Amino acid sequence: MAESERSVFLFSSTSAAIRAEKLALESGIRVKLIPVPRHLSSDCGVCLRCDSAELDAIRLLLEGSRVEWEDVRSL
Amino acid sequence: MSRPIDCRGLACPQPVIQTKKAMSESEQITTIVDNDAAKTNVSRMAEKEGFAVDVEEKEDGIYLHLTRIGSVPQTESTSSAPAEGSAGPLVVLIPSDGMGRGDEELGSILIRSFLHTLNEVEPVPDTIVFLNAGVKLTVEGSLVLEDLQALEGKGVEILACGTCLGHFALKDRISVGQVSNMYSIAETLLGAGRVVAL
Repeated sequence: MAESERSVFLFSSTSAAIRAEKLALESGIRVKLIPVPRHLSSDCGVCLRCDSAELDAIRLLLEGSRVEWEDVRSL
Repeated sequence: MSRPIDCRGLACPQPVIQTKKAMSESEQITTIVDNDAAKTNVSRMAEKEGFAVDVEEKEDGIYLHLTRIGSVPQTESTSSAPAEGSAGPLVVLIPSDGMGRGDEELGSILIRSFLHTLNEVEPVPDTIVFLNAGVKLTVEGSLVLEDLQALEGKGVEILACGTCLGHFALKDRISVGQVSNMYSIAETLLGAGRVVAL
């Protein structure tokens, strides 16, 4: 698995993570909601994993729907 | 001498029960079944009981020739068990498609997180049993399919309750693991060293 080419969006709430996942999936972007890896930290327990190539597309999507994220980290 | 047990037309779990009964009386058994689920269930049980399985697909049915090759492997449960002080297999029981009660959407996220994490932590379970709405996690379109397939690739046995799949009309959409019956499920739970029930 090409872990290095993946990133995660961290959110401050689970509901924001859920909304972000819905938006991405509805737009046909492959994402996966996963528990925040131990080596990262956040207030929220789940994060949205995606291919790093999709970062900009997801950022636009989230901004367009005013879903706020806390951080983007590469895996 | 092979004694044929004709299980054609019998509903699950009858083929397994009848074959198992015959095992106490014979070292060599032929069971005739008429569907893949019965073939799989009888074969799996036979292998567990120390029988070699030879499958012969004929026009009038699937003939399973069973020959005892060893004793009942009750003492060799160490095969894939991580055995951290516990004797016997580690079984995870998943009786719904959510984890915990209170909020369905949250429960769905938690179970997805849990199954994802099972691929990253130790010990690896020997068997995961899916019951009731839990079987929805094993069918096409499930968001945890990749995780379950990865677990299966590590040798985790994944059993989905056939009655439950039937109830939700999902039997032909199972995408990981095996359709199982209450006979196997009960044996798996009772024979476990540890059961982690969600």
